Amino acid sequence: MAGAALRLVTNNENAPPSSGDVDTASLIRAVADRGDRAAFARLYGEFAPRVKAFLMRGGLGAVEAEDIAQETMVRVWRKARLFDPAKASVSTWIFAIARNLRIDHLRRRSRPEADIEEREEEADPAPLADEHVDRRARDARIREVFATLPPNQHEVVLMHFYEDEPHSAIAQRLNLPLGTVKSRLRLAFARIKRELEDLS
Amino acid sequence: MNHHPKPETLAAYAAGALDEARAIALAAHLAMCVECRRGVADFEAVGGLALEALDGESMSPGALERFWSRAGLQEKAGAAPSFGGDIRIPEALRRHIDGDFDGIAWKPVSKGFSQAVLDAKGYRSGALRLFKIDPGIRMPRHSHGDAEFTLILKGAYEDELGVFGRGDFADLDGEDVHGPRAIGEEPCICLIATSAPLVFRGLFEKIAQRWVGV
Repeated sequence: MAGAALRLVTNNENAPPSSGDVDTASLIRAVADRGDRAAFARLYGEFAPRVKAFLMRGGLGAVEAEDIAQETMVRVWRKARLFDPAKASVSTWIFAIARNLRIDHLRRRSRPEADIEEREEEADPAPLADEHVDRRARDARIREVFATLPPNQHEVVLMHFYEDEPHSAIAQRLNLPLGTVKSRLRLAFARIKRELEDLS
Repeated sequence: MNHHPKPETLAAYAAGALDEARAIALAAHLAMCVECRRGVADFEAVGGLALEALDGESMSPGALERFWSRAGLQEKAGAAPSFGGDIRIPEALRRHIDGDFDGIAWKPVSKGFSQAVLDAKGYRSGALRLFKIDPGIRMPRHSHGDAEFTLILKGAYEDELGVFGRGDFADLDGEDVHGPRAIGEEPCICLIATSAPLVFRGLFEKIAQRWVGV
């Protein structure tokens, strides 16, 4: 069973929870503790171009994408103290900030007259009880499962997170029937869920 | 709670891919469901991996310098982004989720069945409405042409898929046909998110559809 093999890997919970060889969580900590600009510049080098690429994959032009990537990094700088490694990895945190800014941007663009809530600036409407979740173990498992998805599922999952009109855009680009794309996504997400079942 | 969103629905929410109406309905379920909040956080982690997997797109020359002047202009601290879903529910709807159903402008559709249309405008708009179904009343059987989310806020209904009570979430495909019947002592109030019009079967239902205006 795939699950049995994966369990070995997740014993290594001290592995850095983010990309490549840069320990991004300690860079954030340096920014939070002492406003370390050199540490921030490294984070910026790591993430600003990726966020820009993410936004361009979602259909934004280079200028818009760079502007929102800058804004994403402004949030990272300002909110570094609020980053909590128990809740998310650095890349997940930055992904969520960029995703929210993208949605706000698209909303504003489609309805310039509307009073659009700045979702990130609004007071936390209903602080949710912090249930006990071992985020680090779950993230390690997700990383494992994600890496071992069949290539055709891995591909559509990545595209699902990048494209702004996911299913139809993915189907068109890969020249596949819509149903095939949907079933690959369904299989991949069901597997991720299943592989996490024994974790808290 | 016995009925939850499908994994691919939680993933679509984490990816920011749902339309406004469905995102609101899902956020309302998340407000009541710890398990699904954890599921969304899991798929947000997949989003983090997807971000890592990208080759960066070069920033234009001088971008970091411009960043510092921009950051200098915005020193005020804000709230932290929420995890386990970016819970963002319109204030008016939040009251209903908390169990306050006063002041809803119900419009009768047919005997024992009324609705109120809610605002769900976004860059991907959808149709969001509240249904109130009196005990014993059955909704016309219908399918949706596209996915429909139903979240029970009060009371209960029963359909081909089982019994749905407060907090339960029906995550239906376009092909699913159902005809929920309110059960119990009190009216069933539920939140319905669709992008496509409901397709009612039969003549009576087609007349009803005109009234529902969907």
